[in-house]
Amino acid sequence: MAVAAAPTHGGGVADHIHPEPHSFIRRYIFSIDHKIIGIQYIVTAFLFMVMGGLLAELIRVQLMNHSGTFVKPDTFNELYSIHGSTMVWLVIIPLLTGGFGNFVFPLQIGARDVAFPWLNMLSFWIFPVAGLMLYSSFLMGAPVAGWTEYPPMSLLGGPGTSMWAAAIFLIGVSSTLTGINFLVTILKMRAPGMTFTRMPLFVWGQLATAPLLMIATTALGAALAALFIERQFGVPFFDPTRGGSPVLWQHMFWFYSHPAVYIMILPAFGMISEIFPTFARKPIFGYKMIAFSTVAIALLSFMVWAHHMFTSGMAPFLQLPFMILTMFIAIPTGIKIFSWVATLWGGKIHLTTSMMFAIGFIATFTFGGLTGVYLSAVPFDLHAHGTYFIVAHLHYVLVGGSLMAIFAGMYFWYPKMSGRIMNEFWGKVHFWLFFIGFNATFIPMHWLGLLGMPRRVAVYDPQFQFWNQFASISSFVMTAGILVFFINAIVSLRTGKKAGANPWGARTLEWQISSPPPYYNFKKVPAVLAAPYDFAEPLPYRGLEGELDPNVPAPVAAGH
Amino acid sequence: MAVENRDPAVHLDRGFWLVTALLAVLSALAVYATIMWHPENMPQLPEAAIPADQVDQLFKFLTASAAVIFIYVVGYLVYFAIAFRVRASDPPDAVGVQIHDHHQLELWWTIIPTVFTIVLAIFSVKIWAGVQFASPNNGLVVEAIGHQWFDDFRYPGVHGIVTDEMHLPLGVPVTLHVTSSDVIHSFWLPSMRIKADMIPGMINTLRFTPTRAGTYPIICTEFCGTLHGTMNKQVVVIEPQANFDKWLAGWKGKNKNASDAIPVAGTGTVNLTGGDAAAGQKIFAQKCSACHAVGPFSQKIVGPGLKGVLHDPAHPKLVNGEAANPEDAAKILQKGYDGDMGHMPNASQNGISDKDIANLVAYLNSLK
Amino acid sequence: MAISVSQIPHGDPNVDQLYAETRDLRLNGFLLFMVSDLVLFSSIIFAYLYLRNSGQGWPPPGFSRLDVAFAAFNSVVLFGSGVTMHFALENWKHGNFIKFANWMVATIVLGAGFLSGQGYEYWTLYQKMHVSWSGSGIFGASFFTLTGMHGFHVFAGVIYLTVLLLQATNGKYTQHKHFGLTAGTLYWHFVDVIWVLLFSIFYLF
Repeated sequence: MAVAAAPTHGGGVADHIHPEPHSFIRRYIFSIDHKIIGIQYIVTAFLFMVMGGLLAELIRVQLMNHSGTFVKPDTFNELYSIHGSTMVWLVIIPLLTGGFGNFVFPLQIGARDVAFPWLNMLSFWIFPVAGLMLYSSFLMGAPVAGWTEYPPMSLLGGPGTSMWAAAIFLIGVSSTLTGINFLVTILKMRAPGMTFTRMPLFVWGQLATAPLLMIATTALGAALAALFIERQFGVPFFDPTRGGSPVLWQHMFWFYSHPAVYIMILPAFGMISEIFPTFARKPIFGYKMIAFSTVAIALLSFMVWAHHMFTSGMAPFLQLPFMILTMFIAIPTGIKIFSWVATLWGGKIHLTTSMMFAIGFIATFTFGGLTGVYLSAVPFDLHAHGTYFIVAHLHYVLVGGSLMAIFAGMYFWYPKMSGRIMNEFWGKVHFWLFFIGFNATFIPMHWLGLLGMPRRVAVYDPQFQFWNQFASISSFVMTAGILVFFINAIVSLRTGKKAGANPWGARTLEWQISSPPPYYNFKKVPAVLAAPYDFAEPLPYRGLEGELDPNVPAPVAAGH
Repeated sequence: MAVENRDPAVHLDRGFWLVTALLAVLSALAVYATIMWHPENMPQLPEAAIPADQVDQLFKFLTASAAVIFIYVVGYLVYFAIAFRVRASDPPDAVGVQIHDHHQLELWWTIIPTVFTIVLAIFSVKIWAGVQFASPNNGLVVEAIGHQWFDDFRYPGVHGIVTDEMHLPLGVPVTLHVTSSDVIHSFWLPSMRIKADMIPGMINTLRFTPTRAGTYPIICTEFCGTLHGTMNKQVVVIEPQANFDKWLAGWKGKNKNASDAIPVAGTGTVNLTGGDAAAGQKIFAQKCSACHAVGPFSQKIVGPGLKGVLHDPAHPKLVNGEAANPEDAAKILQKGYDGDMGHMPNASQNGISDKDIANLVAYLNSLK
Repeated sequence: MAISVSQIPHGDPNVDQLYAETRDLRLNGFLLFMVSDLVLFSSIIFAYLYLRNSGQGWPPPGFSRLDVAFAAFNSVVLFGSGVTMHFALENWKHGNFIKFANWMVATIVLGAGFLSGQGYEYWTLYQKMHVSWSGSGIFGASFFTLTGMHGFHVFAGVIYLTVLLLQATNGKYTQHKHFGLTAGTLYWHFVDVIWVLLFSIFYLF
C-alpha cells in the first residue's frame, strides 16, 4: 500500500474523470454517470410502481365482494402474482439500491463515480428489459402461484411462468452486478480521511446491502434457472412424481428472499439515519450502535430463511434454531428504533414532509417489526402462516417501512437531483392521505387473517366482507395520496422553489456541491476530518472552498 | 475518543416524566385489556383443541409486550416531534442538544430487549414442545389427503377414502397425517390453532386433542390453483364417543368393497356400457358444477358450458380438431385436461370412479 | 453553519494517508464476481445434496455408480492445466514471453482435453447406460446440470485463455501491467477448485 507522502489530491484510480459526453444519448440514455443512472432507476421503478399499484387496486376491487366476480379466479391469481413480483423486484429493490444507492452514496463518500461505470449502465439497462419481459407474461398466461411460485403449482402454471423465471433471473444478474460495483466502490473509493466510522449511515446501509445483493441474488438465480430448466426441458428438480422435491425450491427461494427482505430495508434504515439528524439539527444518537446493528442484521439475515417454512414439515429440532435466531433479529432492530427516537430528543425539529415521512416510518415499521416477532414464534406462526396476517405483516414492513422511507428520501434528495424543492403543502397532503389510507387498509388484515381468511384467494367467507370493503376503500385513499405525490414530483420540476446547494442545512458531502451536481461531482476530491453529524461544529471537510465559486475552474477530464 | 466529553449533561424536564407516566398508564391499560381478552368471547375463533389455549397464551404474551413497546416508541416519537419542534423565535441556524450517545442508556435498551427475547424464546419453545410432543400418539390416527380442491380422509378400519367431513370424537388425542395427491395444499384448523402443509410425496403430522364439540372449518392456506379460495371442509367434533363409532361404522359398511390403495391416475379405458344418466346428473352436481354450467359453450365458469357437448355440431371441437364423442369425454374425465381452455383435474383428483365416468358420459349424452 | 472550513485543524493522519493505491479496482471486482459464481455453484450443489439425501438412496435404484477411474484421469488433466497456467503467469512476470506462450498453449490444450474427456464420458453414459439430462430423474438432472455448468465454465475459460494469448502476442500487456492475465489465472484456478468439489461429491462419496 502506498502510504503517507502521496500528493493530497489527484492520482489514484478514484480520482479519474471521464470526459463529459455531449450527445443526448450518451448523456441521458446510455449514460455512465452514476447520478443519471440513479435517476433513470428511480423514474423506471416509479413507472413500474404505477403498474404494480394498478394491479393492487384491481385486487382490492375484486375483494370488495366475497364472491369476487370482477375478474375470473385465474386472472385474479395472475394479478397478485405480478403485483408481488413487480413491487419486490421492479420497485422497492431498484429504488433503494440502483436508484438512491447510485445517486447518493458515491457523492457521500466523495467519489467521482462508482468503481465500474460501464457495468453500472449495463445493470440499469437489464432492469427495464426484465420488467417488460415480466409484463409480457400476461400475454402468454402469467404466473399464478404468487411471487414465491412454489412448485408444483409453478410447474403447472401457464407458459408465462417460464418468462417470469427468466425475467427475475435477469433482474438478479443486474442486482449481482450492482452489488459487486457498490461494494468495491465503498471499500476502495472513499475520499481521503473517510474512515469507516466517518461514513454517513446511508453508506453503511449500502455497504451492508451490497454483499446481500451479491450473494443472495446469485442463490436465487440458481433456483430460477432450475425452475426454468425443469419447465422447458423437463429436467426434474422439484417435481415429486419424478424424484424431485418441492420443498427444495422453498429452501433455495427463501435463502435468497429472506436476505432480500433486508435488501429492501437496510438502505431505508440508512435514509432515515440521514434525515433524522438533519431535520433535528442533532448528531445521530449512537452512531456506532446503528452501524453495528446494520451489519448484525445483514449477517443474521442469512441464518433465518427457514422461518418461512415452519409449516412445510422440517425436522422439528431444526425449527428451534431458526425460531431463536429470528427472534434475535429484534435486538439490533430495536436498538436502531430506540436510537432514532432518542435522536429526536432535545432537537430543533423541522417538520418538513421528508421528516414527517421519516417519523411515520418509525411508527409503521415498529408495528410491522413487532408482528414479525409474533411470526418468529413457531406455535403462533403455525396458526398465522399463509393467512392475511402475513399479508398485513409484509405490507407493514415493505410499504410502511421501505416505501415510507423511499418517500422520505424522495422529498429529501429531490432538490439535489433536480435543483428544485418539491411543493411542501402537497407533500403534506400526500403524507396524510397515504399514512391514514395505508394503516386503514392493512390493519384490518391482521384480524382477518387470525380469524380465518387465507391469502391468495379470489373468493372468501362472507363474514369477512365488511373489513375487506373497508380495506379496499382505504386503499383508494392511499392511492390518491400516491397520485398527489406523482403530480407533485412532475409539476415541481418546473415550478418548485429553487433549492440552492443545501436547502435542508444537511452536512453530508453531497449537500456541499451545487444542485444538481456537476458531471465530475467535486472540483477537488475533499478530505474528511470527522463524522458528518456534529451540527454545532464547523463542517469537517477540507478542499471544498471552490465548489460553489463559479470562478474556480472545473477539473480536467483524463483523456480517452 | 473525546466524544463523551463533548456531550452536555442531559436534563429530562417535567414534560418528559409526565409523558412517561401517561404512557405507563396507557401501557397498563393495554396489558390489562390483553389479559382480559378471551377467545371464548369471539364466536368465530373458539379454542377447540389442546394446543389452542397455549397458542393463545403465547399470543397474549406477545400482544401485551408488543403493546408496551409500541406505545412507548410511538408515544415518545410523537411527543418529541411536537415538543422539540423548531419555533418561530429560534434563530435560523439553531441546533439541538449535541448529544452523541449515552452508554448506560444504550446498554439498557440492549439488555432489556435481549432479556425479553430470551423469555419469549423459552416461552415459545415450551409451547412448541407442547404442540409437538405432548399429545400422546396412542389415540386415533387419521390421514388427510389434499386434492385440487378438496380433502379426503382415511380412517383406521375403513377401506378406501372417506369423502365426508372429518369427524373426530371429543377428548381423544388425534394424530393426523397429511399429504397431497397433486400440488401443495395446507391443512389449517383455525379453531385448533394448528396447520401443516400437505406436500405431494411427503407426510406431515399434526397432534392435537379436540376439547370442544362442534363443527369447525378446515381451510387450505397454500395456493393450490384456480379454486384455492373455495377449498374448505369441516371438522365435526362429536360427543359422545358412541356417536363417533356409529359414524365410523357407517363408513366401514359403505366402503366394504373399496380398494385400500391411494387412488392414482387411471390408465385403462372405461367401459361405457350401462351408464346411468340420472346417477350421472347427481355426480355432475357434486363434482363438476363448480366449474361447468349446463348451458351453452360460452357460459364459462372455469371450464366451458357443456350443454349439447356431444351433439351440437356447432360446438367447438374439444379433441384433436374433431367433434367430441363419448369416448373422448370419458378420456378427459379420466385423465384430466390441460390446455387452451384451462386445467381440469383427473379422475383420481376429482375422486370419481370408472362407474361414475360411465354415468357422467351417459348424462352428458342426454344433454341435447 | 457560519463557521468557515479553514478553522478546522490540520494534521489528521487519516487524511494524509491517501487512497492513491496502486491496486487495481478491477481485481477487487473480479474477486467478488468469483465469490458470486461460487455461490451459484454452492446453491446447485446444495440442491444436489438435498435431493441425494431425500430418502431413496444414492445412486437411485436402477443406476450404477459413476466410473471413478476415467474421471480421475480426466481430473488429472484439468489439474495439470492449473499447474501449466501457474508457470505461464510466472514466466510472464519474469519477462520470458516464449516460455509464457508455450505454457499457455499447454494450458489451452489440456483444458480442451478435459472437455473432450467429459464429452466422452457423457456419450458413454448416454449410449451404454441410457443416462440423460431430462430422462433419468434426479440422478441425470443433478449430474448433467452441475458437470455441465462446470464444463461450460471450462469452455469459456479455454476461449478466454486463447483470447489472452492473442492479446499478449499483440502486446496488450506489459511485464507489470497484466490484469487480464492475472484474472485469467485466478479464473482457471477457480474452475479447478470447483472441480475438486464436484469430483468429490459425484465420484468419491
